[in-house]
Amino acid sequence: MNIYRYALRRLLQAVPVVLGIVTITFLLSNAIPGDPVQIMLGPSPSQAEVEAIRARYGLDQPLYVRYVNYLAGLLQGDLGRSIYYGVPVLQKIQERLPATLLLIVSSFGFAIATAVPLGVVSAKRRNDPTDHVARVVSLVGVSTPSFWIGLMMILVFVYHLGWFPATNLVMPWAPPSALPAAETRVDVLLASAHHLFLPTVSLGTLQMAAITRIERSAMLETLSEEYVRLARAYGVSERTILRKHAFRNAQLPVITILGLQITTAIGGAVLTETVFQINGMGTLIVDSIARLDYPTIMGTTVVYGLVFVLGVVVTDISYAYVDPRVTYGEAE
Amino acid sequence: MTVATRRSETDDVVESTPEEPGRSGRTEGRPEGREIEARVGWRYTLREVGRDPTAMAGLLVVGVMTAMAVFATVDAVVFASLARFEVFARVGVRQYWIAETLWVSPIAEPSPRLLPPVGMENQFGRGTWAHPLGTDDRGRDILARIVYGSRIAIQVGIVSTLLGLVGGVLVGAVAGYYGDLVDDALMRAVETLYAIPFLVLVLAVMAAFGRNLTFAILGVGIASIPTFARLIRSRVLSVREADYVEAARAAGVRDRNIIRRHVVPNSFAPVLVQATLQVGYSIIVVAGLSFLGFGAQPPTPSWGQMLSVSKDYMIQNVWFSIWPGLAILVTVVGFNVFGDGLRDALDPRLQNE
Repeated sequence: MNIYRYALRRLLQAVPVVLGIVTITFLLSNAIPGDPVQIMLGPSPSQAEVEAIRARYGLDQPLYVRYVNYLAGLLQGDLGRSIYYGVPVLQKIQERLPATLLLIVSSFGFAIATAVPLGVVSAKRRNDPTDHVARVVSLVGVSTPSFWIGLMMILVFVYHLGWFPATNLVMPWAPPSALPAAETRVDVLLASAHHLFLPTVSLGTLQMAAITRIERSAMLETLSEEYVRLARAYGVSERTILRKHAFRNAQLPVITILGLQITTAIGGAVLTETVFQINGMGTLIVDSIARLDYPTIMGTTVVYGLVFVLGVVVTDISYAYVDPRVTYGEAE
Repeated sequence: MTVATRRSETDDVVESTPEEPGRSGRTEGRPEGREIEARVGWRYTLREVGRDPTAMAGLLVVGVMTAMAVFATVDAVVFASLARFEVFARVGVRQYWIAETLWVSPIAEPSPRLLPPVGMENQFGRGTWAHPLGTDDRGRDILARIVYGSRIAIQVGIVSTLLGLVGGVLVGAVAGYYGDLVDDALMRAVETLYAIPFLVLVLAVMAAFGRNLTFAILGVGIASIPTFARLIRSRVLSVREADYVEAARAAGVRDRNIIRRHVVPNSFAPVLVQATLQVGYSIIVVAGLSFLGFGAQPPTPSWGQMLSVSKDYMIQNVWFSIWPGLAILVTVVGFNVFGDGLRDALDPRLQNE
């Protein structure tokens, strides 16, 4: 079986999961107390107005009809209309999703770039001062709320040192004309990186810490394997052992953790977006809950679920790249 | 694959513990048994944790925080009701009602707001011993609110973890024990639960049922079911093949009793470690929810909500936003360090290193 068929099969397996997410969010959203129509129309709407709105949003139909309609719409890429914004939910999500994805991807980039070397060095120099520092860093990292890190960084780097801007995230693909000081694409990219730095570190610290812990223990485990000892006995240099023998084999648990960290990152992004006032999916869902805008709540949750499922599938596929023992479900 | 096999072999050693509680004691009793000290049993585990100074430090933090939470609860329930009664008698209905709405004690001298900790000075005045950590935006003592906040944190951490643990162990043990269709159905359901991002799921629950702490606890608990279910299921898969399970089955013990008396106790060690770590994680998640306004509602103090308020006063009084964060950090580090120590003690592989 080749990799495409494997990917396809994994995606098909994810369908019931996605269906489950849709069902749970649909039921939860419909359990929301309070009448969204009332919120839209104010305190004393006329009966005709209420009827019209109910008919327009399909709220006058029984639950199972609405469920089937919602599923049918979903298949056509229709997530319904936002009650508060008055635009299709999909449009709102298209506006907000890029910022969230950018934040999550950059935080993962930051986490991997710092955690992997830290974990490897920590394992290589076990019980060294370097190792102790790495362990303390990762312990504090997993134990600190990301939003507090964000607040403290704003305090130090924005208010006291003035090194970074706190709000108004610039997207890297924004046209240069949208920024007052930017003339070329490079200016935009720099401005974007400048804005993104604090949110990235704030969100990525937890991932960084979790990956460092796993990387360290996985490296320790592989370094004590027979084949590493054999390689040492053959006089293979420590550097080669580390790079060719141990490192690659140690990455499996790391990839697993990466997959699991996707959920944490999505949750953490809600907080980071709130702290840094980024207009992303997180702020969208928090605002929608406050406004009982349940088509938007449902839409956002479903999209979050999709992002997660895709992330897990990508994780599964990347196993095969790292570990030659994993086959794509092929018969031996 | 070698890793997996080796793991289950060593785990078997630990697993035999609850079945034979006297085992470590027996070994100690033998005169020549000193050097073949059994590396199993709760007594051994406790001793092992006791030897680990970091884990003991973690346990100390956990103990102090729990004691503080218990004290705050007793204080809130017993003394506050007494005080309330006295205050009520002294100031009368109207003034008491005003004071409750403003969240300040009607008989206490109003303190200056946003005071710094002892020995420091800011635009609002000098820190005094009356408020060792300073005061918040309403002139309330930060130390008192931190102590009271521990109540929410510990309660949330422990209750939600227990909820996830019981639910997860139930689902995971049944799925692992019966296998096949039951396994498939249950684990798919759990996977679905897992695919909804933790915080978003909790937010959805709160949106449906209202912003209060019970739902935060419930939500975080439910969201942690998958972790426990997966963990115990992977252990049950190997335990159910064990001879003693086979023997129990042959003796005609009912499945329910086999799961309860043999399978679960013997698969429990990693669950216990995970539970300790989960308490810390739950505290962070609920602090995050409170920060967004979805946790304990004011005036009940919680660390997350204190941070949420403090972010508007960060420039005037930095300390207001430092203390609650530190409280979360210290508590969660305590649980994590203790959990790590417990894991090391329960994993005999690490002993030889």
